[in-house]
Amino acid sequence: MRKLVEIMRVPSHRRLALGIAGTYFVLFLWGLQDISRGGRGFAFLTANWSRALDRTGSLTFEPVAQLTLPGLTVLLSPINMLMGVVLSVLAGLNLLVTYIALTRPWACGFNRSTGVLASLPALLAGSACCAPAVLLILGIQASSLFIGVFQVLIPASLILLLITLKFILDRTNTDLLREEG
Amino acid sequence: MRDGTMTRREKIAGSIVLAGLLLLAVNPLPSAFGQRGEPTLPFSENPYVLSDEIDAYADFMMSGGPPPDGIPSIDDPVFVSAGDADLEPGDIVIGFSHDGEARAYPQRIIVYHEIVNDRVGGLNVAVTYCPLTATAQGFKRGETTLGVSGQLLNSNVVMFDRETRSYFSQITATGLTGDHRGRTLDEVQLVWTTWERWRNTHPRTEVLTEETGYLRNYPRDPYGTYNPRGGYYTQAGTMFPLMYSSNRHHAKEMIVGARTSDRSAYFVLSELAEEGVQSTENFLAVYDPDLDVGYVYATDREAAEVGSLGGGAYELDGASYPADGLPLERLVSVEAFYFAWHAFYPESERV
Repeated sequence: MRKLVEIMRVPSHRRLALGIAGTYFVLFLWGLQDISRGGRGFAFLTANWSRALDRTGSLTFEPVAQLTLPGLTVLLSPINMLMGVVLSVLAGLNLLVTYIALTRPWACGFNRSTGVLASLPALLAGSACCAPAVLLILGIQASSLFIGVFQVLIPASLILLLITLKFILDRTNTDLLREEG
Repeated sequence: MRDGTMTRREKIAGSIVLAGLLLLAVNPLPSAFGQRGEPTLPFSENPYVLSDEIDAYADFMMSGGPPPDGIPSIDDPVFVSAGDADLEPGDIVIGFSHDGEARAYPQRIIVYHEIVNDRVGGLNVAVTYCPLTATAQGFKRGETTLGVSGQLLNSNVVMFDRETRSYFSQITATGLTGDHRGRTLDEVQLVWTTWERWRNTHPRTEVLTEETGYLRNYPRDPYGTYNPRGGYYTQAGTMFPLMYSSNRHHAKEMIVGARTSDRSAYFVLSELAEEGVQSTENFLAVYDPDLDVGYVYATDREAAEVGSLGGGAYELDGASYPADGLPLERLVSVEAFYFAWHAFYPESERV
C-alpha cells in the first residue's frame, strides 16, 4: 500500500489513473447496457429499492433509478456501480503501473513485456460485462462453455487484477521513481 | 500491506471480500419462485408432436446467462387506452383478444420481460415472447404465473411455472422437467402485427404501458429493430446451438407454423401473403391482410378446396368466410423465424 501511495503522490500518475478508471467505468456500464443510447426528453424514475438485490445475470443486478436524457439512458444499479468502481480503480492502477513499467523500466524489477502481460487482467475484466453484446456484434454462436466462462469472468478478473497489481508493486522501486520525479 | 507483506487485518478484510464475491458467483440469491401448492396449470388434451424425446430436449437445454427470473416477467401489468398509447403505426405489438377484451403488448416493452401474466376477458393467460426466435405464444395459466428460467432450448426461451418449478419449452409448449414433464400447455392464439393494424381491427384495445415495476430503456430494443427491421432480426447468424439447422430459407425468414398431435407444417409468410391460400398434404393456411398474419387449419389437401375472394375473404363450398373463420379444424398458428421452427420441427410439411 505504501508503494501505491508513493506512486499516486505524483500528480501526472493521479491524472492518468483517474482518466483510465473513469473511462473504464463508463465502458463497463455501457457493456452492461446500464448506459445506452435511446433516451427521449428528461426524466428521473425510481423503482422499489428492494430490487437492488435482484440479479439480472450471474453478477449483475436490477437498477433502482433511471436517468433519461435526450439520446441517452442511464440505469442506476447500486451493486453494478459498486462493482464498476472497484474494477475501474483496480484496472486504472494496473494500467498505470504497466505504463510506468513501459516508460521507466529501471524502476521495476522486470522487463517491459512482463509489464504489458500484467495489463491483460484489466482487459479481461473489461470484457466481463458484455457477453451478449459480443455475441450480437460478432455474430458468433455461444456454447455452454462460453456462457459458463462469462459467468465467472467478473470475479476472476477481480482476483487477477489484485494479483497482478501486487506482483508489479512488489517489484517496483518507488525510491527510484521519486529520485527521477 | 507493508513492503509486500499484508497485515493480519488486511488479510482478513481481503478474504471476506473475495469470499463474498465467490458466494455471489456460485450461489444464486433467493429467486421469485412461489410457494408449492396444488397445481392449477391447465394442459391440453391434445399434445403437440415432438421430433425428439423429452430427454433429448432436456439434455440440449443450456443457460442463456440470466438466472431464473433474471429476466423478470410482468406480473402486474398496467394498461392505457389506445388513444393514450405511445406507439408509432409501424411498431410491432403482440395482440390477444378474448371474450370482448383486446390487449396489445408492445414488442419494445415485452422484449425486456418475455412474459406478461395477465387476465383478459376473465381468462388467466401468460403472454410469452422470445426475441431470439421471434415467437409470441399465449398459454392458459390457471392460478399460477409463468416466469423466464434463463435457460434456452434451440435459442428459444424456456419458461417455468411458479407452482411446481417445471420447465417448459415455449415453441413446443411442452414440459421438459419437473412434475409437468411431457405435458403440453393449453395454447391460445396470439397475433404478431403492427400497432396500426391491431388498432384498426381492435379500436377499443388496451395497451401495455412501461409501468412494469422495473426500469429499462424501453424505447431501445437491445437486439435490433423491427420498425424498420434491422440488427439481430435480419442477421443470418443465430446466437445459440440448434438441434437441427437448414439453409432452405434465410434464418430470420418469418414463417407461420402449426402442429397437431402427429405432424407439423410451416408456410413462409411472405409467400402466403402473395398467394392468399396455400396447402400441404395435411394443412391449409390462409392469409389475413388486415393483420398481416396467417391462419392454419388441419385438413386434407383434397378435402378442402378453398379459394380467395380478395380482401381477406375466402370461399369454401360456395360460401364466404373470413380468414380466421373457415369451417375447418383451426389450429393455433405460430409466427417464428425459420431457423427456430426447423430446429424443433425438422420434418415439418411445407408447400
